[in-house]
Amino acid sequence: MRATFPHLLHLDIVLGILYPTLGVEIVPPPPITSRTIEIGVEHAPQNACFPLKVTLGNFVEGIERGADTVFMAGGVGPCRFGYYGQIQKIILEDLGYDVQFVLIDHPRFGWRPFFQALKTMAGGRFSFPRVKKAVSLAWKALVFTEELETQRRALRCQVVNRAELDMVIDGALQSLRKVESGSEFERIKKEAWSDLSALERKKENNFLKVGIVGEIYIAQETRINFQVEKLLGDLGVYVHNSVSTAQYVLNTFPVLKSKEKLEAWELARPYLKRFVGGEGIDTVGSTIRYAQEGFDGVVHLYPFTCMPEIVAKSVLTQVSRDFDLPVLHLAIDEHAGEAGLVTRVEAFVDVLERRRKYWKKAEGE
Amino acid sequence: MELYLGVDVGSVTTKLVLMDKKKKIWASCYLKTSGDPVLALKEGLTYIEDHLPRGGEIVGVGTTGSARHLAGVVVGADIVKNEITAHAVAAITRVPEVRTVFEIGGQDSKLILIREGVVEDFAMNTICAAGTGSFLEHQAVRLNVPIEEFGKLALQAEQSVRIAGRCTVFAESDMIHKQQLGFAKPEIIKGLCESLVRNFMNNLATGKTIEDPIVFQGGVAANQGIVQAFRDFFQGKKKIVVPPEHGVMGAWGAAILAMEYAPQETAFQGFEVVNRVFENRSFTCGDCPNGCEVVFLKEEGVIKALWGSRCGKWTPETVGQKFAESKLEEKTDQRELSVS
Ligand code: SF4
Ligand code: SF4
Repeated sequence: MRATFPHLLHLDIVLGILYPTLGVEIVPPPPITSRTIEIGVEHAPQNACFPLKVTLGNFVEGIERGADTVFMAGGVGPCRFGYYGQIQKIILEDLGYDVQFVLIDHPRFGWRPFFQALKTMAGGRFSFPRVKKAVSLAWKALVFTEELETQRRALRCQVVNRAELDMVIDGALQSLRKVESGSEFERIKKEAWSDLSALERKKENNFLKVGIVGEIYIAQETRINFQVEKLLGDLGVYVHNSVSTAQYVLNTFPVLKSKEKLEAWELARPYLKRFVGGEGIDTVGSTIRYAQEGFDGVVHLYPFTCMPEIVAKSVLTQVSRDFDLPVLHLAIDEHAGEAGLVTRVEAFVDVLERRRKYWKKAEGE
Repeated sequence: MELYLGVDVGSVTTKLVLMDKKKKIWASCYLKTSGDPVLALKEGLTYIEDHLPRGGEIVGVGTTGSARHLAGVVVGADIVKNEITAHAVAAITRVPEVRTVFEIGGQDSKLILIREGVVEDFAMNTICAAGTGSFLEHQAVRLNVPIEEFGKLALQAEQSVRIAGRCTVFAESDMIHKQQLGFAKPEIIKGLCESLVRNFMNNLATGKTIEDPIVFQGGVAANQGIVQAFRDFFQGKKKIVVPPEHGVMGAWGAAILAMEYAPQETAFQGFEVVNRVFENRSFTCGDCPNGCEVVFLKEEGVIKALWGSRCGKWTPETVGQKFAESKLEEKTDQRELSVS
């Protein structure tokens, strides 16, 4: 079995740690490029969600590299994520690719298929101690890659030399690809933290603060969202992203649950009570949390035509008014242009800056 | 006298404004970009130099518009700002109590909401042509009416005819249909104006509360037919102001921002810029499937600035090296350099 999978930020690093230990060969798709998007757009139904198209492109490029199996996580309705895997499976079949499609669905659709899929994904071996060890290291790696990106977002505005910051973080990510043991992992982690704290910082610390909310894929995948976080950082903004794959995974297991997510849902309750699919409620809840934490603004990233996020968007109009918190909505798909997006983001940062300058001053007087 | 220069280079038009410390405009021009922003800039600079008041000295430069970065390098800008901020700043200067800005230019349109002199929300349409000046120009050509006459003709109409205008293509075929039905030109033009206004409101203003006074600016604000169509849209209940400087508000805003920024020493390159040789070149990088189109600006043979390399591997230095090694440059023409 040679398995490929969709990209999602640094998922390839995490799976690269997990799989060799399980004895499954994986073929990571090449990095997402315009070609990936073109392939996805060409073969997917026109009105399919953008993340479906890009991940489909990943599969095709992974198969071109020699994969014979595709791993995909299934989602939960009521939005279209519920059908992602099925649709992609059919498309790949129609294209004539002879591959095994392993779809791991949410356990709420039954624990047996869930474990069955897990077992296939684990290369048939389910010997517990071994799997447990591999999973535990991969999990730590996932959390660590997210922490690294959290630091990148937070520090970009603060460090004197941004290229150095990227070097430290990209360097740590690179060394993670070769990690085999827990002790090695701890060493990389320690080194990265000490390198980061050694970076020279600017003197001022009164940065504008912007939070990112939105759909799990678009809000995280920098190769798709035009590196909005980097752009904001370069404009001197402190950025925090509320979306996390680790939290999503945690929340899949009823016993674990994600504290952050539950908290966001609680906050969203006055505005949105029903589950609307995807990250709709999280978007609303996280925006409120940012308002309470004194952030200057929120950037809402989502796929054009994404139903849960469109519901969230209309709710956010009210949230934005109630909390006096500017929200920039950025819908992204294959037609989104970089120039227009950059102009909007720049203008948004100007808005936040001028609000601080004029209004906060007026308040102080 | 200390003066500030504001430059707004868009894909369709290029605007320049010369302003003093009291934000008073001394000279301004409005030119077609015609696909060559550097040439348009040079023309504009020549005009400004000719109209420079005696003893006037440029102490700050701001650029805006879709080619703001390029313009910034060519002219030497102290501040490079996006169009939304520039337009808002100019509107607030002209009408301090402004609550809403409508800006319709050649290629895009914007809606800016303002509260107590600070931008509160904005929307920009860059995809749909049905709400922009290009749409009107296109239809004017179809109807064989000079664009300058367009607005006046619209005002002559006694009634209007509804042109379905969700998009340019539909509007066009519906217009032809209405022509065949025998509606007079003024009526059709009025219908087109109303259709553009409907598009603007649908695309940009859905879910937003429009308060007045509204400042209507951009090239299209010169069109009385559109102004009237906006008035009718609000049934005359909202105050709409078209400032005399409506065509150059972006450039004016850029000048004001340059003044606010107050550079110690301006980066302005001087009017000699018009004599320098600039080349706008590009090549398609083939190092990964992204196939970025890397654009760079050469001044007297030296690469001054570069855009479009997504991974950041191309900088003026690396491109310089690449070309030095391969001597590719001599062989290929302006637009079709290719690095393999
Ligand atoms: S969350 Fe949005 S993008 Fe994702 S499947 Fe649902 S509708 Fe599509
Ligand atoms: S510039 Fe970088 S991202 Fe763009 S095509 Fe070349 S290698 Fe790829």
